[in-house]
Amino acid sequence: MRPLLVALLLVAGSAPRLTAQGDVAARLDRRVPPPVARAVTEIAAGAAARGLPVEPLVQKAIEGGAKRVAADRVIAAVRALATQLEGAAAALRASGIEHPGAGVIEGGAEALSAGLDAEQIGELARTSKVPYDPAVTLRVAATLASLGVPPKQTVDLMEAMMQAGRTPNDLLSLPTQVQEGVARGKTPAQAARGLGRGAEHAPWAHGSELPPGQTKTKTNPHKP
Amino acid sequence: MSDVFHPLVKGLLDGEATLAELPPELRAEGEEALQLLGLVDRAPVTLPAALESRVMAEVRRHAASPLRRAWRRLVEPQEIELRLRIRPWAAWGGALAAAAGLALLLARVREPPAVRAVQTASRDSVYVRFVLFAPGARRVSVAGTFNEWNADAAPLVHAGRGGVWTVTLALPVGQHQYAFIVDGERWVADPAAPAVDDGFGKRNSVIAVTAQGARTL
Repeated sequence: MRPLLVALLLVAGSAPRLTAQGDVAARLDRRVPPPVARAVTEIAAGAAARGLPVEPLVQKAIEGGAKRVAADRVIAAVRALATQLEGAAAALRASGIEHPGAGVIEGGAEALSAGLDAEQIGELARTSKVPYDPAVTLRVAATLASLGVPPKQTVDLMEAMMQAGRTPNDLLSLPTQVQEGVARGKTPAQAARGLGRGAEHAPWAHGSELPPGQTKTKTNPHKP
Repeated sequence: MSDVFHPLVKGLLDGEATLAELPPELRAEGEEALQLLGLVDRAPVTLPAALESRVMAEVRRHAASPLRRAWRRLVEPQEIELRLRIRPWAAWGGALAAAAGLALLLARVREPPAVRAVQTASRDSVYVRFVLFAPGARRVSVAGTFNEWNADAAPLVHAGRGGVWTVTLALPVGQHQYAFIVDGERWVADPAAPAVDDGFGKRNSVIAVTAQGARTL
């Protein structure tokens, strides 16, 4: 009687995992080559067992299939993403967030991928209190770093914006403004520095580095 | 016989005066009136019992039932008299409140809608317009995390002759990565939006969709 009970409990415990694996396999069917589908299903099952979000892994595999990327490269990208998700989750937990949501973990993984370190991710997530969404903050930071803004400057800029009480939409506009600065011939760091100075003054002006009515008339030529 | 008796003669008929009290010139008229009055049969009229019962039966037949009376009260127009006693301060207060309410209503109607680059499609999705300048392209589509990277799901249409391709999609709230597919094989990031490494050696554009609108990250 007891072995039967144990077997039933084992089956019941593994049922959700099997279902999740079946879902992943079904979504990957005919979208990626079978070897990729098998490998990604296995990676996703391992991630789910560790409490990590599975959706970004599936999306990355589907993206690779749609872009006709070589199978081994798709598997490598999905595995790397799983590692980043795990690293982000660990960084968030280390910073005091016991149960980070899927969106925050994804944002942290993107930030890790873009060059921020675990400590910086934890710091940004801690600073992002209502009305700021840590998932959005981390994604914006990831995009800024991807554009070439140094990680420390990225974190400083984000924190300055939040401490100055800028709106969440102001945070979302940062990458576009950095890109506009770069299009005008500045380096990403220079463009971000201008935004950092603007963050200390109100009101915030989208699309310009300085608040309206202010001009850079007192620049210090010796200052980098 | 006169058609109308003198008022004093009418008083005689009503018992308010006697014939002797009338002026001499009215006495003849008074006598005539009394004579006519005497001709009137003052015996009480008694109706036969059968007639009375017949009349009452007819009246009962035409009388409405309580239900019908209630129905009539509901549907038939009735004259209602309302008497309002309003103190002056209450009347002025009511008028001011009504004016304030009207002003608020008009202000709300005149308030221009918030200017947004995108329109809300539903509670959880927002219309986003994608535009790509690709003069030599034969076909262009957009794929991303919002349509599971399906290259055929969202084709752009050629807008005019200038090489501008465009499509408007309802995207769910959240962050999305996307790219354009030119001629079915070339994946290109949106030049108007910041991009991130896609893990395969190329770049994806990033867009953040919130309830207030969409913004490229």
